Amino acid sequence: MVLRRDDWLDIARKVDWTPRYVDERSLFPEQISGRPWLAHEAWQDWSEAYRTTYREYVANQREKDAAVLGVRAALSKPRLVDELDPGWLELVKFHNGAIALAEYAGAVAELRMARFGRDSAWRMMATLGALDEIRHTQIPLLIGSDLLSHDRNFDWTHKAYHTNQWVILAARHLFDDMFLAADALDLAIQLNFVFETGFTNLQFMAMAALADRAHHHLFEKTLASIQTDEARHAQIGHPVMRTLLDNGSRQRAQYLVDKMWWRCWRVFLALTGTAMEYLTPLGARTRSFKEFMTEWVTEQFIKNLAEFDLEKPWFWDLFVEELDYAHHSFQLGLYTYRTTLWFDVASPNAAERSWLNDKYPRWNDVYAPLWDRLEGRWQGNGETNTLSYGLPALCNLCQLPTLFIGPGRNTACTLAMNGRRYLFCSEPCRWIFQQEPQRFAGHKSVVDRIVAGEAPGKLIDLQQWMGLTTPAENGKDLRRGLDPWRLDPVPTA
Amino acid sequence: MRVYLFGYASDDFVGRVLVTPDERTVAELGRQLVAWGLDPERHGAITVRNESGEILEPADTIAQAGLSNGDIFTVERG
Repeated sequence: MVLRRDDWLDIARKVDWTPRYVDERSLFPEQISGRPWLAHEAWQDWSEAYRTTYREYVANQREKDAAVLGVRAALSKPRLVDELDPGWLELVKFHNGAIALAEYAGAVAELRMARFGRDSAWRMMATLGALDEIRHTQIPLLIGSDLLSHDRNFDWTHKAYHTNQWVILAARHLFDDMFLAADALDLAIQLNFVFETGFTNLQFMAMAALADRAHHHLFEKTLASIQTDEARHAQIGHPVMRTLLDNGSRQRAQYLVDKMWWRCWRVFLALTGTAMEYLTPLGARTRSFKEFMTEWVTEQFIKNLAEFDLEKPWFWDLFVEELDYAHHSFQLGLYTYRTTLWFDVASPNAAERSWLNDKYPRWNDVYAPLWDRLEGRWQGNGETNTLSYGLPALCNLCQLPTLFIGPGRNTACTLAMNGRRYLFCSEPCRWIFQQEPQRFAGHKSVVDRIVAGEAPGKLIDLQQWMGLTTPAENGKDLRRGLDPWRLDPVPTA
Repeated sequence: MRVYLFGYASDDFVGRVLVTPDERTVAELGRQLVAWGLDPERHGAITVRNESGEILEPADTIAQAGLSNGDIFTVERG
């Protein structure tokens, strides 16, 4: 008689062997399985809400891959790429470079839990999660490879994480902290509970909705397919959080949540906030970044916190304030330092300005004058006068430029420690650094390396150092200054 | 001695790195920062503050004002 799935699954997913040659602590050392170290009795009730067998997994993934590859085959004609909005293609280039190999780091993280997670059901979920993340690396590499014939800078899909490009250094700093230098417990909270249940909805589902309206159906299919995997393995976080809280680790759990919420926010405002509102064609924008963040990220996250009786992070008011400003300031940074990027950057035209002001009622007061000045400088002395040539001050935690979050609202701060002065974009970044200084203090930002003579100070040499080896690779003004609106007076409030 | 500082001008959007001899005055430092910003041609009074918010004496040298490697200063433009 063949057993039905539900007759054997509960037993199969809970095969926790009793070790005979080593004790449990040696098999799951605290350094990599995580603190607090708890005997297996504390983990034996670990349970995921949606259970999957390996057979089901393989069947489902095969179907999902077939669907993505089917869309790829149907939409492979070069003219279909040519018909896409140029800004949208730059968004895809930005996304691919920042995300593709981060997913591979995610596979390493899942594999760590697949070995050192404390319950076999957790390890099984993480094994499938690792296969997911390898898939999430392979798909954008495939799509990026297809797009090479259209634009060779799509090689940054693979290349980016092997360079010292400053956006990538910031992303790598986060993902090294979250994925590669974390034990299994911290991974489950940081990666699964915060990053995946909190933020990946935004990057994959919200972006998929925009891709649909931008008529890039292959990208839409890709993102939506990836998010179905994320949703499954993200559920690792909840039972780990429950076990931590039941065993007296509330303070540690709250710290990991606070830390990773802020760190993820920093990277997402830079990557997703700017891409959604400055590279997405106007007709494709269904909501503002702030609206997406509020509906898809914040509300869900608050529910998750409430489920575990956790507090909102202590910096919540600053986060809410930044929703109106931070990515707009960051866009100015991307634009004026665009020659240090691998994708093109847009300045908003009149219609986009109007949309931005509808969504952010202070945009015209705060940001329009800054874009006006850039316009004036272009008209007066040409494009080179719209570029920044001095170095931006970089945060020693998030590695991103320390930006104003509003008019005159400078949140930068410093910390002196062991004969070195560190710069931070904000109090939360300084606070994270102070919690684990031994983890972060040895790292040098790009500016630190230039000051120390470990990176070139001349811009052209610095671009080479960052992997931008030919002028064709450097980011440019998206519209090349050729749009008629540039010649007209720029309307402002 | 050359020092590197992080400057923020009130009409700019990003902090900028300045490498400068610390024998220069605070007023010169402020003007150097706004020269890197988006509106360098605009004239008018400037006020320079340290990280604690204290106004620095324009005629003081950077060293006399207590600014050294890695310090923050802000410039308010009138």
